Amino acid sequence: MLQVKDINVYYGAIQAINNVSLEVEKGEIVAIIGSNGAGKSTLMRTLSGLLRTRSGAIRFLDEDITDLEPDAIVRRGISQSPEGRKIFTNMSVHENLLIGATTRTDAQGIKEDMEHVLERFPRLRERLKQNAGTLSGGEQQMLAIGRALMSQPKLLLLDEPSMGLAPNLVAEIFDIITDVKAEGVTVLVVEQNAHKALGIADRAYVLETGSLVLQGTGQELLHSDKVREAYLGG
Amino acid sequence: MKFWAIRVGSILLAVLVSYGIGMVAQGSSGTVSRLIALAGLYVTLAVSLNLINGITGQFSIGHAAFYQVGSYTAAFLASQLLARGTINNLGTPIPWVLAAVGIAIVTSGIAGFLIGLPSLRLRGDYLAIVTLGFGEILRIIIQNTPQLGGSYGINSPKAFVVPYVWMLAFLCIGACRNLLQTAHGLSFLSVREDEVASGAMGVNVTRVKVAAFVLGSAFAGAAGALLTFNEGFINVNSFTMDVSFIILTMVVLGGTGSITGSIIAALALFTLPEFLRDAPPMPLNAVLGTLAGVALLVGTIRLALDQKKLGRDFLTPKTYMGFGIAAVGGVIVSILANFLPALANRTIPSAELRMVIFSAVLVIMMLLRPQGIFGHREFGLGSIFKRAQA
Repeated sequence: MLQVKDINVYYGAIQAINNVSLEVEKGEIVAIIGSNGAGKSTLMRTLSGLLRTRSGAIRFLDEDITDLEPDAIVRRGISQSPEGRKIFTNMSVHENLLIGATTRTDAQGIKEDMEHVLERFPRLRERLKQNAGTLSGGEQQMLAIGRALMSQPKLLLLDEPSMGLAPNLVAEIFDIITDVKAEGVTVLVVEQNAHKALGIADRAYVLETGSLVLQGTGQELLHSDKVREAYLGG
Repeated sequence: MKFWAIRVGSILLAVLVSYGIGMVAQGSSGTVSRLIALAGLYVTLAVSLNLINGITGQFSIGHAAFYQVGSYTAAFLASQLLARGTINNLGTPIPWVLAAVGIAIVTSGIAGFLIGLPSLRLRGDYLAIVTLGFGEILRIIIQNTPQLGGSYGINSPKAFVVPYVWMLAFLCIGACRNLLQTAHGLSFLSVREDEVASGAMGVNVTRVKVAAFVLGSAFAGAAGALLTFNEGFINVNSFTMDVSFIILTMVVLGGTGSITGSIIAALALFTLPEFLRDAPPMPLNAVLGTLAGVALLVGTIRLALDQKKLGRDFLTPKTYMGFGIAAVGGVIVSILANFLPALANRTIPSAELRMVIFSAVLVIMMLLRPQGIFGHREFGLGSIFKRAQA
């Protein structure tokens, strides 16, 4: 579904992503784990079109999307829940969700998806008219995921969904990710919480200082000595 | 059905009110009629700048430039193409006026597009400097172009445009309000909130920013064209930086992003100084004393408000003491001022007094309610009905 081939991304003279190639198949959950500064978020932002590659190619559903604008990429079916959630804090929960559907024009479909998202996140329904800034961290993350789902993505990019959340909320968010997959949405998740991410991932990659150093199924990596040592605390 | 009834009803109402205002203006003196027109123009200017500044969050402070483009477009066309005989006797045929307004909308929209382009790369203060610079450059170029009247200005035919001025104001208000009701309007707000996140959601940030600039400046340009026909004479002094700042003040004072706030602040800031124009000259020491008293009073209120935030009472003995100090301090300053030779027995003419009050109001607002009168909120008939039902 998504093929990334040998991409290089720079911030000015500094190389953040070095010859990264990866693949995501339809219906999978793919995790990318790595520590701070490994380039995880850079990779996500590149896939969304917010950053440009210097070389390499990104293909989605057999179409080259390397140089497309972010809104064109959303239209093709890739949407992102960005790092740090980036919800619109001065707008209501309802408005936040509507912005997620900004690339769509089918009023009826938007209504149905809104209902669907609110069924999945009942707490958002309770707070529908509230300013999104008044939500708790967990609710904000749910809103960010719900907002990304409003564009009817084929591929959902999740950037550090567990960041700053209490352990029980982290578990809840990962349950939601599994549910989303069950509904046929392919998920690419980037995480520092390697344990949780590998636990639900069909396949995973390990990113270190801009390069992919390991790959395998979630279970393989969860039990690999190298990963245990570096990311799971021995 | 109800939707269209409301829509058609409000358009009819706006047209009727505009003609009503026009009739009032026709029945009153030339000065009052002119003020009624200018008030409407300022409402349009404030609401259209609010679209760029408040709703889309692009800090533009050169709004007078677009006003000027529209005004000069109309003046140039009218002075070149219309018979000289119609000058100064309200004789310009209305279709002519409307055609000139249409062309002014196009030219100022193009100017807005050109200024909107750098806004794609600039943010905050930097964009403010570019817009300010554009306004000044434009004004100075016109001042030095004899074909555009140079520093003297252009005489243009006049017309009675008060109803059209107010129709434009209502159109501008309606356009902004309806924009905010749509998904498209939400994307404008989202750009103000967070550009990167809106981009990631699929909002075309480039298009939103440029659209805000084009729309906002087109409205300002239309206002400029109507100004030309209302005044019959324009020159560059009507479009100085001061004008830009007054429009900006209206937006900020009303609450950035609030359309209602912009309208009310525009009317208030425009009319209050006009009332003060006829006030008698005030003794300087009394003015200074009042200012000192008000400053102390505002300081006390500010401190008491901070106390209240911590859960304590607003009115404590300390607050009363502050009020007392404010009163006594004001009196002392006014007495002391009379002992200083430089300040004694002077008066402030009313024309300058209004600027003093104007600035004082701004400072007080920024201290007591920095988010503006309305903050981000709106106030409309709908919300009154809703509250009445609840």
